[in-house]
Amino acid sequence: MIDFSSPRHRHKLGYLLVAPALILMALIIVYPIVMSVDISFQDVKIARIGVDRKPWTFENYEWLFTSAKFYQSLWVTIKLLLVVGGAALAIGFATALLVNQKFKGRALARLLVALPWAVPEVVAVVIWAWMLDSSFGVLNWVLLSSGIVSKPIAFASDPVAAFASICFVMIWKGYPFICIMLLAGLQSIPEEQYQAASVDGANVFQRFLHVTIPNMLPVLGVAFIMTALWVFRDFAIIFVLTEGGPIGSTTSLAIMTFEESFKFFRMGQGSAVGVITLIICALLSRALVSRFAKSVN
Amino acid sequence: MATIEFNQVGKSYGSVEAIKDFNLFIEDGEFCVFVGPSGCGKSTALKMLAGLEETTNGSIRIGGKDVTDLGPGKRDIAMVFQNYALYPHYSVRKNMGFGLKMRGYPAAEINERVEEAAKILELTPYLDRRPRALSGGQRQRVALGRAIVREPAAFLMDEPLSNLDAKLRVHTRSEIVKLQRRLGVTSVYVTHDQVEALTMADKIVVMKLGVIQQVGSADELFENPCNLFVAGFIGSPGMNFFRGAIQNTDGRVFTTFGGAQVPLPDSLAARAGKEAIFGIRPEHIVMGQGNLQTELSLVESLGTEKILHFQVPAGQTIDNSEFEMDDEEDRDAESMRARIIDDHKYQNGETVNMDFPKSKIHVFDIETHAAIK
Ligand SMILES: Nc1ncnc2c1ncn2[C@@H]1O[C@H](COP(=O)(O)OP(=O)(O)O)[C@@H](O)[C@H]1O
Ligand SMILES: [Mg+2]
Repeated sequence: MIDFSSPRHRHKLGYLLVAPALILMALIIVYPIVMSVDISFQDVKIARIGVDRKPWTFENYEWLFTSAKFYQSLWVTIKLLLVVGGAALAIGFATALLVNQKFKGRALARLLVALPWAVPEVVAVVIWAWMLDSSFGVLNWVLLSSGIVSKPIAFASDPVAAFASICFVMIWKGYPFICIMLLAGLQSIPEEQYQAASVDGANVFQRFLHVTIPNMLPVLGVAFIMTALWVFRDFAIIFVLTEGGPIGSTTSLAIMTFEESFKFFRMGQGSAVGVITLIICALLSRALVSRFAKSVN
Repeated sequence: MATIEFNQVGKSYGSVEAIKDFNLFIEDGEFCVFVGPSGCGKSTALKMLAGLEETTNGSIRIGGKDVTDLGPGKRDIAMVFQNYALYPHYSVRKNMGFGLKMRGYPAAEINERVEEAAKILELTPYLDRRPRALSGGQRQRVALGRAIVREPAAFLMDEPLSNLDAKLRVHTRSEIVKLQRRLGVTSVYVTHDQVEALTMADKIVVMKLGVIQQVGSADELFENPCNLFVAGFIGSPGMNFFRGAIQNTDGRVFTTFGGAQVPLPDSLAARAGKEAIFGIRPEHIVMGQGNLQTELSLVESLGTEKILHFQVPAGQTIDNSEFEMDDEEDRDAESMRARIIDDHKYQNGETVNMDFPKSKIHVFDIETHAAIK
């Protein structure tokens, strides 16, 4: 019998205790990943368990790197990332600063800010799809009756309007999380730093510039990367609003993965897109983790 | 000239009155210490002086000018905080020069002044480091440096030493006093530690529950505490207390301690027949002579100096709840302490004779706790 409390064997108990969790994680996380990497190297139309496996090939990746559609999807994703990441960060920071002030009803204001985050994504997007509808949508009704536009905006069929509405809903859905993260960051800035700065003669703007911003930089960085990861992976918003159309103008890498696999039934190619997305996200997470480690120090 | 003047200043947080009727005049160049148990309103008073908290009523003047409605940046003061409050992302140099930069000084002059302050505080080798790469004592000096480069009308310090270890605290204490003497800037220093107050201050302000108890020099407070609270708060180990009746037989005024007579000043004759609280400092008790007898319950030897513990006679103890003492010093109302330097070897359980010299006894009213002269 091993005595796990002895210093010599203590670490073994640790391994023993995390083993079940590790095995479970391996099964539900690692297995599907290995599967999709495997499929991405085969010429598969519809993957089935138990069917004889095809020989390994680079065909899917060759197709991918020469396909205009892939580059367009990548470009769409990057555009989304910049617009949504930038805007959500700016709006989230502004609202965080706002609800960090002392005023009556602050608790309620914080709750309202967090609300879009709490609504299930698909529900929220369906509601937005309805509001943005070109013939029945409330938004077009407002724009028309107030005379801002003369004919309804076709949010789903005009490429620019479609992209804009995707961005809008993504920002709407994404900024509360950023706001909550940044609010936590703001609250961890010691009050004394502000007091010291005001004794030093700094005005509100200078205190923001010399105390708030530098203290918040690590949190802002983390928030941006988290948003970036979310934009890369998000599927429901685009799929419900535009299904990636019109003519691929809102097809992100996530949508393309889905289309290749389940619309055109080219699972090998779909998996290849997925694997590339995975690699990009892994690199982003890496940046995130090292950022975190740095800001903790 | 920068005198500081509090005029009937009050502060309420909702229904909580943190400061009441605060009146104080601090001379130009004086080192003034606010001392009192934690929660008594010292920081609040200091923050009102700095302009970081608004006053609920009353007015504050710095250098004769009413600053009650001015912001902290316009009061020409510098402040040192307990946790230093350095800007973590700026170098020591930038931290120290920040106040000058905000006031629009040219870079060359800022640099010159920072270098000079760094020389005084022995921070020159660290000027280009970030605060996190410094030790606690060094950070404290940077905070001081940030204050002195500005050459303000007054320094305000809120428990600046409480994050340092005991040895460094004693060292930095004298450094701050020396620096203040050298610069001659009016300073207000907040602490809960009466030893700091006694050793540093020209003027000590003892506070309790938002009210000033007594203002005076260290000697004044030590020799003539105006009430029971000040008597118990100032001095370490603290003053011993016991209660008893003032008696007057044939023109001799005395009280009793465990049955034996303790002579009192004649001025107390008028109060004969009344109860009072008596106080005697541990260092004023004389051992080995006199008519009082007691059994030593504990002998603590600190080398040359000895602390002798003995019991207050039954029925003469005072209620502990009458004090709001420091948390650090758990006062035991049942026992008394004498601080002795002599060659006698005292034993636990030994019965000794002792004397409470008449001139060293403090007498307090049993109701109001005010000192009776
Ligand atoms: N922002 C605040 N809101 C409500 N009460 C406060 C606030 N700041 C201080 N107080 C109260 O005022 C009293 C004095 O506090 P403080 O000046 O910090 O005491 P000290 O510095 O002497 O320890 C305390 O009872 C404290 O609870
Ligand atoms: Mg305090």
